[in-house]
Amino acid sequence: MTRVVVKRLLVGVLVMWGAASLIFVIVRAAPGDPATLLLGPDAAPDQIRELTAKLGLDRPLPVQYVSYLGDVVRLRFGDSYLFNRPAMAEVFERMPATAELMLASTAIAVIAGLTLGLIAGGRPGKVVDRVVSAGTIALQSFPTFWSGIMLILIFALALRLLPSAGSGTPAHLVLPAITLALPFTATVARLTRTSVAETMREQYINTARSKGLTERQVLLGHALRNSLIPVVTIIGLHMGGLMGGAVVVENVFAWPGVGTLVVDAVANRDYTVVQAATFLVAGIVMIFNLAADLVYSQLDPRIRLESAA
Amino acid sequence: MTRSRLLGLVLATALALTGCGATSGGSDSGKSEITVAGTYPIQNLDPASPAGGGNTGTNLVAQEIFSRLVRPKQDGSVEGDLATDWKSNSTATEWTFNLRSGTKFSHGSALTANDVAASFKRLLDLQSTNAKNFSGYTMTAPSDTQVVLKAPKPDASIPHKLVIFYVVPAKVTGEDPDFFKSPVGSGPFKLQKFDPSGTVDLVPNPNYYGGAPKLDKVTFKTMPELAARMTALRTGEADLIWGIPDDQLPQLQSESNLSVETVQSTAVFTMWFNSGEPALRDAKVRRALWQAVDFPTIIKQLYPQTGTLADSPISPVTLGYVKQEPVKYDPAAAKAALTAAGFDFSKKLRLQFANAEFRPFNQAVVSDLQKIGVQVDPLEKEQAVFTKDLLAMNWDVNFQQLSNPTYDAANTLGRLYTCEAKRNGYCNPSLDKLLAAAVATPDEAERTRLYGEAGKIIWDDAVGMFPMAVKYAYAFNKRLTGFTPDPNGLPDFAKVQVSGS
Amino acid sequence: MKTWLSRIPYVVLTFYAAVAVIGPLLIDYNPVRTDLGHRLLKPGATAWFGTDGLGRDVFAQVVYGARTSVLIGVSTVVVSAVVGTSIGTVAGYFRGWLDTVLSRGIDILLAFPAILLAIVIAGSFQRSVVVVVGALSATAWISFARVTRGTALSVRERAWVDAARVLGVRRRFILVRHVLPFTAGPVVALATLEFALVVLAEAGLSFLGIGLPNSAVSWGQTIANGKQYLATAWWISALPGIALSLLIVNIGILGDQLTARFGRGQLR
Repeated sequence: MTRVVVKRLLVGVLVMWGAASLIFVIVRAAPGDPATLLLGPDAAPDQIRELTAKLGLDRPLPVQYVSYLGDVVRLRFGDSYLFNRPAMAEVFERMPATAELMLASTAIAVIAGLTLGLIAGGRPGKVVDRVVSAGTIALQSFPTFWSGIMLILIFALALRLLPSAGSGTPAHLVLPAITLALPFTATVARLTRTSVAETMREQYINTARSKGLTERQVLLGHALRNSLIPVVTIIGLHMGGLMGGAVVVENVFAWPGVGTLVVDAVANRDYTVVQAATFLVAGIVMIFNLAADLVYSQLDPRIRLESAA
Repeated sequence: MTRSRLLGLVLATALALTGCGATSGGSDSGKSEITVAGTYPIQNLDPASPAGGGNTGTNLVAQEIFSRLVRPKQDGSVEGDLATDWKSNSTATEWTFNLRSGTKFSHGSALTANDVAASFKRLLDLQSTNAKNFSGYTMTAPSDTQVVLKAPKPDASIPHKLVIFYVVPAKVTGEDPDFFKSPVGSGPFKLQKFDPSGTVDLVPNPNYYGGAPKLDKVTFKTMPELAARMTALRTGEADLIWGIPDDQLPQLQSESNLSVETVQSTAVFTMWFNSGEPALRDAKVRRALWQAVDFPTIIKQLYPQTGTLADSPISPVTLGYVKQEPVKYDPAAAKAALTAAGFDFSKKLRLQFANAEFRPFNQAVVSDLQKIGVQVDPLEKEQAVFTKDLLAMNWDVNFQQLSNPTYDAANTLGRLYTCEAKRNGYCNPSLDKLLAAAVATPDEAERTRLYGEAGKIIWDDAVGMFPMAVKYAYAFNKRLTGFTPDPNGLPDFAKVQVSGS
Repeated sequence: MKTWLSRIPYVVLTFYAAVAVIGPLLIDYNPVRTDLGHRLLKPGATAWFGTDGLGRDVFAQVVYGARTSVLIGVSTVVVSAVVGTSIGTVAGYFRGWLDTVLSRGIDILLAFPAILLAIVIAGSFQRSVVVVVGALSATAWISFARVTRGTALSVRERAWVDAARVLGVRRRFILVRHVLPFTAGPVVALATLEFALVVLAEAGLSFLGIGLPNSAVSWGQTIANGKQYLATAWWISALPGIALSLLIVNIGILGDQLTARFGRGQLR
């Protein structure tokens, strides 16, 4: 077990190096440079040259790359060109908003997904099951940015119940969190439905029923418990997808998280912020994937961690 | 984590979520505090900073914390701030400013001519884009209440140019980021809290020469997204927003607790032709293209409240504004003129612009040009790429909303249209002569006449199309009184009050 | 009942394909042509789906957007399938260092949420069809590589492949003749699912303003354009979104059916 974890971590270091390098290559290959952008069209060429040198962007690319890697190893990402302060500080400042959004979405998705899955799986093949199954396919198919806009249309503009954009109060969180939760809810519901339907066919369920337990007690006592394992795993595995979804949803709702930061930083050629933010996201995704694997193997002894190919 | 504890956590989070209703924003009762939701980030409070000192966000706050020698009025003229009066010598190379006596910084020490001259030296030393307006200039302080600014060549635009010059204590030199974390100035407000993520709190400066403002606190929040600003205004979380596109105005105007006001800005939609391109070298061709676009209709449809057909390359609130002959929409004449000039209709012109906000306008222009057979490719570029291509002249038509922070034609006509500027491929020695004469003439009426002549050449030769003069729309909570909208998007809060709180 | 229901996706998808191919021939639409006199018209007889902020027909944009989505979807899936299948088959068949390099490369790409990587790539470069296809293919090939690698791994152990090897048949011939055909089923099933993901991602990029250029008609762009008119003209954003969702739902159902037929394998 320990050996597997150590090996996984070593692979993780390799992956982080690759991820950092990949982003370095992409942002440097982009047309347009930070100095010209920062100084605007009225700057003199020597001003642009000076700022380029100050940002360290006049050095040959291999030199920039080596010093960048040296910094990354020490978890330093340099100063944001735009905000004139450490890029990672900028990212960390936006992280709580993204975390808040993701946590709220996960909570909604798990609760709604488990409920729907229990309802559908408890009566496999019945009308309820059909409706829920069809509904979840639809939920998974809505593009998040569009469902977000539709929620704005209904709840912010037509009913005037909730704010359409921005942050600050808990009410601001509701629409973005629901939007981000929709596809994930469908995943959890489908997973739960399958697991519950399987459990309901098991012998011991019949035994439980014959002991006089009500259908509700059977569902909550046995079926729900069994379906928690895959749900926990899927949370870990979906962290990447959820993070990607958050990037889009944040932009729909002007939510001041890492997603809006990255999109702005790419447009502003704020290389250091792009590098810092993507590095952090990659790190988080990796840790969650690893954690999901470990939790899964702990919860379900049938699964053993294989060392990766 | 055990399953039950995990479930418990999930449930707790859900309860926390459902337990919250919509909360109302706004300020504490009894105190007059307002919140302003601006578009641009406030990254830095140093208006002389080399990277980003000229930013709108920085200026917005800087003008409340620091005083200037002069400041602009809503009509575009300048009035004294620290200076009471000023005059130049006959050649406009030496300007003398008399200072208000007894002004103090917010921490109580006196502000003297020495602080002004030192701040000017600091501005030049830091070599920001603003400093480039003053290369080779020197400022001296012959007495505690007088400064003298010497220019290497005649410069009648000096009073207007100084509206971007802010005074800090003489001891501040170089970049000094620590000073600007808790700056000391002589403006109406002083800094209470600065959070570079986008929130700035200002409180009244009791030592302000004009008397401390009535507001107890002004909070600036950065909300780049329009939808977020509008929501904040509606819920009372913000009291003032601006930069609202025309299509959104009716919604705000229908709300009973909000006021909407528009103000003529210094901005003009400017669509330069690249006169360096062979296809566009002929002024007849450029004029014909201008004639081919139905700007009155486009403006009426897309900018009914915030746009008016421009009648000069510069805005009416700019020194040097003189009305020009309108260009009549006449597609048939345009087509005939293009054919007569041998225009190559198979060539596709590249129209570049940088902001999605201007996409509809540019698409409407492209549509009109296509009606007479002129092919134009609308290219929406990222700001970084746009700026680079703009300077590299990598375009045929360039759209910009050009505003003028100094309210003086010297900053637009005088700077962008000379042969030396190389900004739009146009070069005309007689225009250069007029512009040089204008900037050397201290008399404002004569300067205006000269800029009028220069403007006529630029207009008639169609160096670009100048379709629209822009108004800025401000929307604010009706509890605000004494608010004046600002033509450059830099509203001042020194005289604002809150009623009925 | 079941067979009847399971045919729905085929009918719907055929309809979309027909609209994408024939629609543009029947309906004339030029994104450049604006009609300011008829802006923000409600859905009705003159404009079935209403008009947008520049007076352009939303229905025509939906029809032309279908073509764009299908075009981007098909190109990306073809590029990713070819690249992924080639790499996956070769790595799975030959194993060794090639396989290790592939696995690590995939790990690196999977460190980012796919849409984030696409945003960074597409946002960095000029907006164009090639950049969008490239940005989406950058992660879309991975699933193809994984599935075909798995298939190749199992096929190489089969008796007839061994026999061919012993007989001295050239490796390239074994690969093409004996290994590749087994990957066809899973690849087709996967292509369907990937097509849906790619169409969604393209719409997302265009929505964020970093996808296709303005000269292209894209559902994502139309939805984004409509966002500022949401209070007065809901149809600009709503209707293209319904068209998009309907397409994705049906591809999803079809993909599930195909996956069930070809076995889940390593599809995930």
